[in-house]
Amino acid sequence: MCQSDNIYLPHLATIEAVVDETPDVRTLRLVFQDEEVREKFNFRAGQFAEYSAFGAGESTFCIASPPTRKGYIECCFRSVGRVTEALRGLEVGETIGVRGPYGNSFPIENFYGKNLVFVAGGIALPPLRTVIWNCLDLRDKFRDITIVYGARSESDLVYKRELAEWQARDDVRLVKCVDPGGNGPDWDGKVGFVPNVLGEAAPGAENTIALVCGPPIMIKFTLPVLEKLGFADDAIYTTLENRMKCGVGKCGRCNVGNVYVCKDGPVFTAGQVKAMSREF
Amino acid sequence: MPLSITEQNLRQLVDTLVKERKLVVGPKLTDGLALYQPLSSGQELSLAKLPRRSAKELFFPICEDILSFEKNKQGTTVNDVDRSHFPEAVLIGAPPCDAASPAILDAVFSWDYQDPFYLKRRERSTIVGIGCRQGDDACFCTAVGIGPDSDNGSDLFLTQLKGGGFACSVVTPKGQALVDSHASLFGEGAAGQTRPFEGKLGDKLDLAKIKKWLDEHFEDPLWESIADICIGCGACAFICPACHCFDINDEGGTEKGTRRKHWDACGFSKFTNHASGHNPRDAQNKRYRNRIMHKFKYYDDKFGKTLCTGCGRCIRACPVGIDIADIIGTIEAK
Repeated sequence: MCQSDNIYLPHLATIEAVVDETPDVRTLRLVFQDEEVREKFNFRAGQFAEYSAFGAGESTFCIASPPTRKGYIECCFRSVGRVTEALRGLEVGETIGVRGPYGNSFPIENFYGKNLVFVAGGIALPPLRTVIWNCLDLRDKFRDITIVYGARSESDLVYKRELAEWQARDDVRLVKCVDPGGNGPDWDGKVGFVPNVLGEAAPGAENTIALVCGPPIMIKFTLPVLEKLGFADDAIYTTLENRMKCGVGKCGRCNVGNVYVCKDGPVFTAGQVKAMSREF
Repeated sequence: MPLSITEQNLRQLVDTLVKERKLVVGPKLTDGLALYQPLSSGQELSLAKLPRRSAKELFFPICEDILSFEKNKQGTTVNDVDRSHFPEAVLIGAPPCDAASPAILDAVFSWDYQDPFYLKRRERSTIVGIGCRQGDDACFCTAVGIGPDSDNGSDLFLTQLKGGGFACSVVTPKGQALVDSHASLFGEGAAGQTRPFEGKLGDKLDLAKIKKWLDEHFEDPLWESIADICIGCGACAFICPACHCFDINDEGGTEKGTRRKHWDACGFSKFTNHASGHNPRDAQNKRYRNRIMHKFKYYDDKFGKTLCTGCGRCIRACPVGIDIADIIGTIEAK
């Protein structure tokens, strides 16, 4: 099947594990059925794939597991439409299709020797989680690692077990927050919006790379905070998540101005984003 | 060497190609409606009217299967579509505005990832273009650098002669091969004077100047003034020879079905809608701006080509009277 020149043909993968991150966000751990694909499927943190529930169609998500963990990939999605509902309806042992990996990636090698600050909101942690684990798996290569992550409420936080793991590590500084009103009686994190909490946490900009992912409104208010902290535009990375269909620069849907998110992105620096047409 | 072919022999050429089991597609009238359709004989070829839809669907069908899937007790299987049976095809009688478009679309379907459906059909087809002798008030091919005698994209190009018949010029090796394999139908030398174009030809617009304005005016009151009336019906994209946006959807059930690629339009309100409900192009004029930008700026930025052949179909079809020729003329005059 992989010998075909049909760029729309997916690999088949078996759902090995399912984790419900929130009431409507699910992680699937996938193992490719073809042994050769399993061995040869290589990707970099930041790349995405097209996942299919046969009969419902395809949906675009990042590869949420790190490339440093071999033998499987993970995706994480919120059930909001026909395809994601169908993907959610599949159980462990069932088959889904995966096309990819597509797009560019975070230039992690360029971050060696630097401090890293991850800033994520809500369902946008998965695109950074692949980088976080990639970096933690190569912990010696990096200096201080700070993670600022927030969601509307405690129940909207994804990867709760990993947040606990990061919180317990002494080589990671985790600052977690929920929007005002989203905290329960036992909440041990901050209460506030991500950009404000980031400002209070005030990570130093010296020799530091910031990686930001979140809804457009969060990005909009986070960039000025980073700027104020002294981050240059080329020291801030983000990943854009436009609607896509083909994933390979043909279907004409994901463009922001003349930039094709699927081919030129999805990873961009803040400088590149600022140079784009105001269309995201 | 100049060549010629009589009208009778052109029809004979169609008959011969059909006998050779080639797929011959050309303008054909059905109840007065001209469409590019498979021809079963040379008599069906009708060169009087510009077909309602463009010829791009010969290479990029309105809807096509890209794979099939089946789920049973043994598991799920995915099957490729057999492209080895895509027919050898000849597109015949396409005026310059239609003959030019596949050569423009090659760029998007062949950059980086190669779309094997489009490219296999392109590889197996020959385009016999024909000079246009009659335009209407919606035509504007000359504005975008094409003209009634332009052989851009044709493999073999025919020009109507005053006394009937056609002068032929070989444009590409594919065109030469078509002539060589049917040499007895062609005569040597141009037999007579070219039939003149009936009607007025517009001036060529300065596409570089238009692009420069677009480079600098993503935000401009022009977009609201020209495109607030757009109803987002998508007609302009569907009849355009150069629009290439598509969607991918599954048909059938979860047990058995096909995945299909089918035409889509950037004018549709859900085209860029995110799963979250956020929509980067949340107003109709933003979607229409994308149409103009894609055709006269983005495609040029990416591939060095303009994504418009001036056929005028979108002007004729628009239910609210949006006139793309008028718009680019306005931009050029700024």
